[in-house]
Amino acid sequence: MSIRFGVSAILAVVLSPCAAQTVEPDPADIIAALIDRHLAADWQARGVKPAAPADDAEFLRRVYLDLVGRAPKVSETRSFLDDPNPAKRASLVDKLLTLPSHANHFASVTRNAWMPQTATNPQLAGFGFQFESWLRIRYRENTPADVVAQKVLGVPLQFAVVGNNQQFAQPLGNDPDGFGLAAFYQANESRPENVGAAVSRVFLGVKLECAQCHDHPFAPYTRGQFWEFAAFFADLSRLPNTRPSDTSTKGPQADKNRLTIPNTDKMVVAKFFDGTDPVWSDARTPRQELAGWLTRRENPYFAKNQVNRLWAHFFGVGIVDPVDEPGDNNPPSHPGLLDDLGAVFAANKFDNRLLIRAITRTQAYQLTSKLTHPTQADPKRFARMNLKGLTPAQLFDSLVVATGYREQSSRRGVQFAQFPQLGNPRSQFLNRFASTEKTTETNTTILQALMLMNGDFINTQTGFDRSEVLGAVVDVPGWDTRQRIEALFLTAFARHPTAEEAERFASYVDRGGAIGDKNKALGDIFWVLLNSPEFLFNH
Amino acid sequence: MFCSDSILSRRQLLRVGAVSTTLSVSGWMGELARATASGTGSKPKRSCILLWMNGGPATIDLWDLKPGHENGGPFKEISTSAPGLKIGEHLPKIAKFGDRLAVLRGMSTREGDHIRGTYLMRTGLVPSAAGIQYPSVGALVSKEIGDPLAELPNFVSIAPQRFFGVEAYGPGFLGPQHAPLVVGDNQFGRNNGGNLDSLLKVEDLDRPKVIDEATAAARLDMLRVAQEEFSANRPGAVSKSHAAAYDRAIRLMQSAGGKVFDLTEEKPAVRDTYGRNLFGQGCLLARRLVERGVAFIEVTLGNWDTHQNNFDQLKTLCGSLDSAWGALMADLKERGLLDTTTIVWMGEFGRTPKINPQKGRDHWATSWSTVIAGGGVKGGQAVGKTSKDGTVVEDRPVSSADFLATVCKVVGIDPEKQNMSNVGRPIPIADRGAAPVTEVVA
Repeated sequence: MSIRFGVSAILAVVLSPCAAQTVEPDPADIIAALIDRHLAADWQARGVKPAAPADDAEFLRRVYLDLVGRAPKVSETRSFLDDPNPAKRASLVDKLLTLPSHANHFASVTRNAWMPQTATNPQLAGFGFQFESWLRIRYRENTPADVVAQKVLGVPLQFAVVGNNQQFAQPLGNDPDGFGLAAFYQANESRPENVGAAVSRVFLGVKLECAQCHDHPFAPYTRGQFWEFAAFFADLSRLPNTRPSDTSTKGPQADKNRLTIPNTDKMVVAKFFDGTDPVWSDARTPRQELAGWLTRRENPYFAKNQVNRLWAHFFGVGIVDPVDEPGDNNPPSHPGLLDDLGAVFAANKFDNRLLIRAITRTQAYQLTSKLTHPTQADPKRFARMNLKGLTPAQLFDSLVVATGYREQSSRRGVQFAQFPQLGNPRSQFLNRFASTEKTTETNTTILQALMLMNGDFINTQTGFDRSEVLGAVVDVPGWDTRQRIEALFLTAFARHPTAEEAERFASYVDRGGAIGDKNKALGDIFWVLLNSPEFLFNH
Repeated sequence: MFCSDSILSRRQLLRVGAVSTTLSVSGWMGELARATASGTGSKPKRSCILLWMNGGPATIDLWDLKPGHENGGPFKEISTSAPGLKIGEHLPKIAKFGDRLAVLRGMSTREGDHIRGTYLMRTGLVPSAAGIQYPSVGALVSKEIGDPLAELPNFVSIAPQRFFGVEAYGPGFLGPQHAPLVVGDNQFGRNNGGNLDSLLKVEDLDRPKVIDEATAAARLDMLRVAQEEFSANRPGAVSKSHAAAYDRAIRLMQSAGGKVFDLTEEKPAVRDTYGRNLFGQGCLLARRLVERGVAFIEVTLGNWDTHQNNFDQLKTLCGSLDSAWGALMADLKERGLLDTTTIVWMGEFGRTPKINPQKGRDHWATSWSTVIAGGGVKGGQAVGKTSKDGTVVEDRPVSSADFLATVCKVVGIDPEKQNMSNVGRPIPIADRGAAPVTEVVA
């Protein structure tokens, strides 16, 4: 079945800002409607009954976690829930996109996805910081995705040889971006095959590295193709790129566009992934050639991959999933949607924020995570919101907000914790909760559960005599028990308790909990909430 | 992909929940205890202990001496309880168990860098360029021989020093349910000081002192209800895993199982025999864990990176190693556990046969030794041979993948068994083409 929705008409609207004098429709609404139509058609064809819409509280917590990397504060929750404006969800997204924490969160998520090795290999961690700092500015400025790719690929580098078989990429000249960008190469050991594999994975969405040693078993990529791609990064190679016996005519860039496949005497010249050849020129380096090809509007890989990654961020599952393993045994769940979104993204100058504004306005993003019909069970149908695990930083930042923990500003900068630091809860949480899993497959470990149940941090924050938020909840004069319970729900879950919950927990507190102490009983409630899946996951 | 080893099935949990919301937590725990008793009765048939020598041990001075050659250094050979098998003079206690040892003298691996070598020896593979997360040997083996319903975790890592790459210690694509329970993490330079008893305990295992038992029970009761309510209409891996991890953690806290980490239960004389250092007490803990049916335990002894003063350093290191491992062998044998427990000894590589001007040895992966001992092993032999100067394997070369396959065979696992990886491709436990050293398989 093929679904087309007149993308060209949409493009025309989006691309012609001066087409009409009447009120311009927000392009985000147009794109959201496009997504809605694709998903609705799929649901209808499969007899899927989508879940109910998420209420304001569920949407609020979700969009805070997805956009700024933490749950909302009580004040933010109250003001949003009390706001009568029917357009408040879209307004909230627009506001959150302007916050520095949005840029920080997205830079962190992107760095983890693009350079997973910097989260686990201590020797490479510093490069992760460097690159993430650069990404942070890109997200703050909403730099278009094609410009980001062009900068990463085009950065002028020089190389220092270290050891007998390694070299180290360094920025050339005074380009202010150079330091951050060089880190991308350094984190990939400045080797053509590593950088080539990373670029293919990150910007094309094609994991080529299996083809490094042999033809890809399940996808049509050959070993030759891998090395032809890696050859765009031949300037990283220390080995001579031409054999002395090679008497063929040397064209422009000939010293930078060819590689010998290791352990063979086969020389390959860089070639685009679609089989076409660059027109080599003295004006453009091979890496710049690749960037130009990659970010052309009609490039079949780049825009779709970027869209798909963003989609996976919000839904936990990509339209192609895994996002970098396309192939016959991993077809897109909604091929028409992916094609259309890629085209729209390219046509709108690769504007990340526009796409975010569109996705967060869709019906699918605003569905509840509660399963109400068996047909919603398949996460790839997006018929209810998928339950997602939190990144370690999302978890700790949400704990900080929920408990009022006063964290020293110097410690807020800790983003990588190979080893937990004594007396620094952030580093301890980042270490204990570090994970490379898909968010929809997050596993809780025994040590994580023990830390949340018995660890110092939660113990302190659920003791009314030491916890900021709990202490305040206990101390507010004139509140009855239900109001105190309500405050704890708002700070931990960003919602009001149900009548049944209010009754159950209030009766526990009013009878003094297990040991006849109402204040401690409130601490018990707070402990229960912070240990609950509703707090620990993004739903 | 969740979660064959959740201790309580969903159905059991619901049954517990269905009894009533007034059921006390002790009732809940009672159900947990019964599940333990009925579902998990039998111990795993096999256990495996990995003695991991962080930094790359000079195996030429321990297992494959070169007396009379200038590369041999000052150490002498001694006989073992097995006729014909000789090892280094600083391992006299282990020598008494020569009949249970198989020394592989033909190790020839490719990686002479700490991080890459560690990854290679612990996973059997070199790091994948950017994608596949290979599991460590502990995760691979414990998944196969562990009991998913066991009270204790199937994989315990004691005193690891993971600065040579944490990924070489993890469960990789097998997922966190196969991750090790880590105790005594990264305790550098505290081998002989510090509070060993508390270092080797599970972090946060004890409930905070300010929380009394009645309160703890009430909290868990309320948490269970909250868990149930949230998860009832949000089925799936994430919420199930939360419930399972809390179940296992609570069980570990409340059961006798958690006591296994309390080394003060052992007689002081026994503790002395193992050596009052982190590795020695770690080996004692390993024995206690084997007694309780834990499938895979690794104990790390660090500081083998002897670029200078190799021989002085080795005397100290061998002292710790010999006491601890010797006591471990003796205890296992006395308890009838040596036939079902395989002990693997290795580091990330060996060290150069040539002695450098600082009387040290540098990194060397071309020709070195590992040892397999105990259950499933045809002991009393050395397999493979290096040249007179120690620089070349002349007979029976063994790669890292061959070695992993050998460990599999010895503990009774099919090394060709495949696991689904994080990239949706099945990966065999030992790399394709790996050939186990069948001579050492009993």
